[in-house]
Amino acid sequence: MGMTDLALAPAILPLVGAALALAGKTARPASARTLERLGAFVGLALPWLPLVLLAPSILQGGAVEGFVGGWAPSVGVAFRFDGMAWLVNLLGFAVAGPAWVHARGSGPRGSAFTALYLVQASALAATSMAADLFNLFVCLEVLGMASYVLVTESGKPGAYLASFSYLMVSAAAMVFFLLGVYGLYRLTGALEYGAVARGLSALPDSGGHAALASVAAIAAAIALRTAVMPLYGWLPEAHALAPHAVSAVLSGVLIKTPLFALTRILVLLPGGGETGAILGAAGAIAAPIGVVIALSQTDAKRLLAYHSISQIGYVVAAWGAGVALIAADPDGAGASAGAVLVAAAYLHALAHALFKGLLFLSVGTVTDVAAERDVYRLRGAGRALRRAGERLPVTTLAFAVGALSIMAIPPFNGYASKAALSAALKGRWQYWTLLAASVGTVASFIKLSLVFRRPKPAASTETFSEEAPPAVADTATEAPESGAEKVPISAKLATATLAAACLAGGLAAPRLYRVVATALGAAPGATDAWSAALYAPAELLKTAGLAAGGLALFALARTAPGKALASAIRNRPRGFHGLFLALCLGMAALTAWLIR
Amino acid sequence: MIARILVGLLLLTGLATLVARRNLVKKVFGLAILNSAAVFLFVMEGAHSGQGAPIVDGSALQIVDPLPQALMLTAIVIGVCVTALALAIAARLHRATGSLDIDVIKERLGNGHD
Repeated sequence: MGMTDLALAPAILPLVGAALALAGKTARPASARTLERLGAFVGLALPWLPLVLLAPSILQGGAVEGFVGGWAPSVGVAFRFDGMAWLVNLLGFAVAGPAWVHARGSGPRGSAFTALYLVQASALAATSMAADLFNLFVCLEVLGMASYVLVTESGKPGAYLASFSYLMVSAAAMVFFLLGVYGLYRLTGALEYGAVARGLSALPDSGGHAALASVAAIAAAIALRTAVMPLYGWLPEAHALAPHAVSAVLSGVLIKTPLFALTRILVLLPGGGETGAILGAAGAIAAPIGVVIALSQTDAKRLLAYHSISQIGYVVAAWGAGVALIAADPDGAGASAGAVLVAAAYLHALAHALFKGLLFLSVGTVTDVAAERDVYRLRGAGRALRRAGERLPVTTLAFAVGALSIMAIPPFNGYASKAALSAALKGRWQYWTLLAASVGTVASFIKLSLVFRRPKPAASTETFSEEAPPAVADTATEAPESGAEKVPISAKLATATLAAACLAGGLAAPRLYRVVATALGAAPGATDAWSAALYAPAELLKTAGLAAGGLALFALARTAPGKALASAIRNRPRGFHGLFLALCLGMAALTAWLIR
Repeated sequence: MIARILVGLLLLTGLATLVARRNLVKKVFGLAILNSAAVFLFVMEGAHSGQGAPIVDGSALQIVDPLPQALMLTAIVIGVCVTALALAIAARLHRATGSLDIDVIKERLGNGHD
């Protein structure tokens, strides 16, 4: 088995698994379940094998390149499995596996669900290694198609509407992507990234306005998929109303994969650096705005969904700044500095995938058990969980780990990744907007943590109330049929795994950051200074300051004017048209900026 | 040139239908028209190098560029899948709310808050 086969395996194995799971549709129920499990094992566990085998060469900065099926370069589909593809696969499979296990208990289940879920995993892997414009289009469409259906699997009517809006705006964006591909193909007659770049540089003005407009169309379509600020409207409803396991993958993985896949295009094509800079600026602005909207939400899962917009803002801010540096100076010192920024963005993307996946799964378990999603009405969640048969407070602890991670409290992974972002963005204006967003993040997770507070009378100021007296009535007793539901063992297993990963990611952060930076092409030792300063008193003091700021902001949000403002933000008009208006205006603005 | 303008108009028609119509099924039509415009554009582009069938037997030179056609076959298949899925979701929404009007659906679903 050659390197090429190994590199393609993470995309092909989930497809084999999907076929196995789907074959179960024709079998008897018992064998269907066996086939489904076998399919999931082949599709979600086996891909780790090629990843481990490839790690030694890929993480040194190597890459496996080639054409799928060994076709001639003029007609073949090019792929490139490099450090970035490896890292994105790691992120994807680290969340997809536990989320599927969680779905065994919390639903949805069944051959069709598992097959679609695996198709999505395959498309994620394929997107990460695409090196051909049209192949990227196909991968993104398959990815989208699987996710539209998965969102509706929760069966809520609202989820159908969310999925419809998501489908419409995303399919329209993909038409613009196709127009961008058309523009570049017309200019160069090529689809492979490298060939397109060579073709454009051979032209007298490197393609001129047509090339820039094409790059803008492609970038705008991917920005929509990534939910960068003005193009985020489809995300909150889709992520909030999807089944918990699907929410975890959508928020954790699906919005980041297209972004990292875009890196390869932007560092090669004209206008790429500027596009990266603009997207980065949008992300840096999105981070605090997303947090403010999140803070005003009452629905637990919607609050988490808005946090995804904010957190992706962090990722895009550093990623965009890094891409701009790499594109400006692809072979010199700029490339190494840019790689460090992109590495910081990836580190946060990985951390976010783990802790947001964990939060969606644990909050999903809590809201199922308590049969209440409103964070103002849900109280005594710890007790509801205990009543549901959870002796060891696994879900409570898992939620605590997730919340502390996203609040950037040491030693969890969110602390390390946010420290990496601050160090990489030091001296830029983005540093300050991200800092402001961090304060808001703390505030909104204090708010979410209140669901674990003992029910009324609310005399205690404790956040967690494990020792609450059992005599007081709480929301769980009002919904006995679902309150009596046991917390499934699979849910505990999934959340415990992700919680352990969050902790490990935080403890091993210096090593992880070094590996990531090397894989992305940074100069050796570029992250050493950061590693030394990770737990320096100044950093810890800053964290304490942020936490205090968050507490103050939370108190402010609980006052009457704060509540009125939150209600105004929560009920702001949001329409179907807005999605398209944002898409068209965003693309037009990007094109105008590049061409000016 | 005239062909390009027509394709541009088709594109705008699709986009306008997609955005302005309140009926879900008409929105799906708009998406299908939008998609067709992109397909037209690619196929037209492929015909610049010649009009002959792309059968390479050593003699024919004025052939169309086969690559855009191959790409568009894929794009058409994807377009059909997206359309089918969108219609299926629209049917489910109709079953749940008794309407195909997006504003009415939103209202009956309680403004997105389930």
